[in-house]
Amino acid sequence: MNLRLFRQTLRWNRVKLLAVAAAAIGWGFLLPVVYTSFSEAFRQLVNSGTIPKQLLSFGSGNFFTLTGALTLGLEHPLSIAFMGIFAVGSTVAAVAGERERGTLEVLLARPIARQGLYWTLAAATVVLLAIIMAALLGGQIIGIVTQGLGNQINLGYMPLVFLNGLMLWAAFAAFGLAASVSFDRTAPALGLTIAYLLLNYFLEILGSLWTAVDWSQKYSLFHHFQPGNILVGKADLLDLLILGIAIAVPVVFALVVFPRRDLAAPS
Amino acid sequence: MQADPIAVIATDGLTKHYGKVQALVDLTLDVRSGEIFGFLGPNGAGKSTMIRTLLGFLHPTQGSATVLGLDVTTDSVEIRRRIGYLPGGIALYDSLTGKDALDYLVDLQGREPVRRDELSERLQMPASVLKRRVRDYSRGMRQKLGVIQALQHDPELAILDEPTEGLDPLMQHAFYAILDDLRAQGRTIFFSSHVLSEVERLCDRVAIIRAGHLMALQHVDELLARRKRKVELRWRGAAPDLSGIPGIADVVIKGDVMRATLLGEVAPFVRAIASPSLEDLTIEPARLEEAFLEYYAGDEASEETRG
Repeated sequence: MNLRLFRQTLRWNRVKLLAVAAAAIGWGFLLPVVYTSFSEAFRQLVNSGTIPKQLLSFGSGNFFTLTGALTLGLEHPLSIAFMGIFAVGSTVAAVAGERERGTLEVLLARPIARQGLYWTLAAATVVLLAIIMAALLGGQIIGIVTQGLGNQINLGYMPLVFLNGLMLWAAFAAFGLAASVSFDRTAPALGLTIAYLLLNYFLEILGSLWTAVDWSQKYSLFHHFQPGNILVGKADLLDLLILGIAIAVPVVFALVVFPRRDLAAPS
Repeated sequence: MQADPIAVIATDGLTKHYGKVQALVDLTLDVRSGEIFGFLGPNGAGKSTMIRTLLGFLHPTQGSATVLGLDVTTDSVEIRRRIGYLPGGIALYDSLTGKDALDYLVDLQGREPVRRDELSERLQMPASVLKRRVRDYSRGMRQKLGVIQALQHDPELAILDEPTEGLDPLMQHAFYAILDDLRAQGRTIFFSSHVLSEVERLCDRVAIIRAGHLMALQHVDELLARRKRKVELRWRGAAPDLSGIPGIADVVIKGDVMRATLLGEVAPFVRAIASPSLEDLTIEPARLEEAFLEYYAGDEASEETRG
């Protein structure tokens, strides 16, 4: 790992990081507020039978319990966008983008091994993801405390939620980096990574909305991010194991492929 | 092949294929310490492939290469620690200022920028210019920044891919002077180019590459000595007899002017024509361009056939 490159990578992302972290805190804060304000109204609406229950179940989240509301917030497309900016956008641009711009060869003309470059970019990505995940959860904690909901939840489980969330997004980031080191252009790497992310999301949402195919959720990485279960003391280590494998496979792939790739002159 | 003990770069049967495309074929050459070595060839001849293989960006299909005595496949990181590299058509980080880009790159190099001030001054890149963002630089300024980043840490070996691309004539001459000074200080320069005049002006030895094959590897002087020169004579009275002078050919006489080509030594020719009736004599210097075109004549003929 190269510390200078690591610092510079973080520096290049700092404005984006600050903006997304601020938005993530705001979004995290909003969920407990919405839960406090509308959960009873939602409950009455659903109990009236006007809206099928399935339509109010988004992933593993709902608005009827605090943990359900927090889960909903973490699996909402907005959270996915916040995390995806770094898990997909930054990782794909990290190598394929530099290659496309022609700056990768200036970088690799320095005494940096390709594995070293990979680990540096991976470490920087994990830091960026950790900050955004911490911002999301931090916002939620602020919301819980300010809404006086602290007695409904054990905040001591939050570090485990943080770890579970970070592992989920590290898995997508690992895939993005693997795609990034495999292509000379951003477009195919980005397309492949977004397709992977959307497929996982689709399987999770499909299974949660349509009970006949709820088996599809097992094949989604999102299904192995279970903040609701963790917050009620029902963490499943198998989820962490599966996410660990989902991280390890693309990491190994990238470490095998990247050093062996021919980096021809940019066309 | 036995490696040259003072070779800074040595390749032995270096071959690189991209699928069915042969980018380099059985290339064996050496670059000696303290010389400026020109690597000549038109676009697509394999120059950049060779350079990228030396830097470890590409993996040889066959053969081997060493740089500073280190194997390009196993010691690539150490090689890059000790060299300076200017890629062809260099791209730099647009969001950084020139100074920040240089600081960043030399920091990654792990060396002090001992030559930066001197290079910046000679290439007319003062602090006021280096404060500006790279995105605001012209092509020539980017190229100058590229030259500075390649040489600022005073590398033992500089590998420069078409270094004068985009430089104006004034800056080209400043760059040539920098290379002359580096050579005088014992540094080795390997540079690829298709600008024949600069290779002729700068290089001690040249390699000419065509479709991945090494066509020639010689001292520039030797290469030129084997080329035909154009000669023109003007005289009074009877035309001199040039028959029997070694190397004279293509004689054309028009009035009191004779034109011919001369291959080889000049002295026998000058001795033969020395007479009071000789009014004027012009011997054009042999040009690398002619040698180069000679090696590429086959390509042009085959292109015409294909066309």
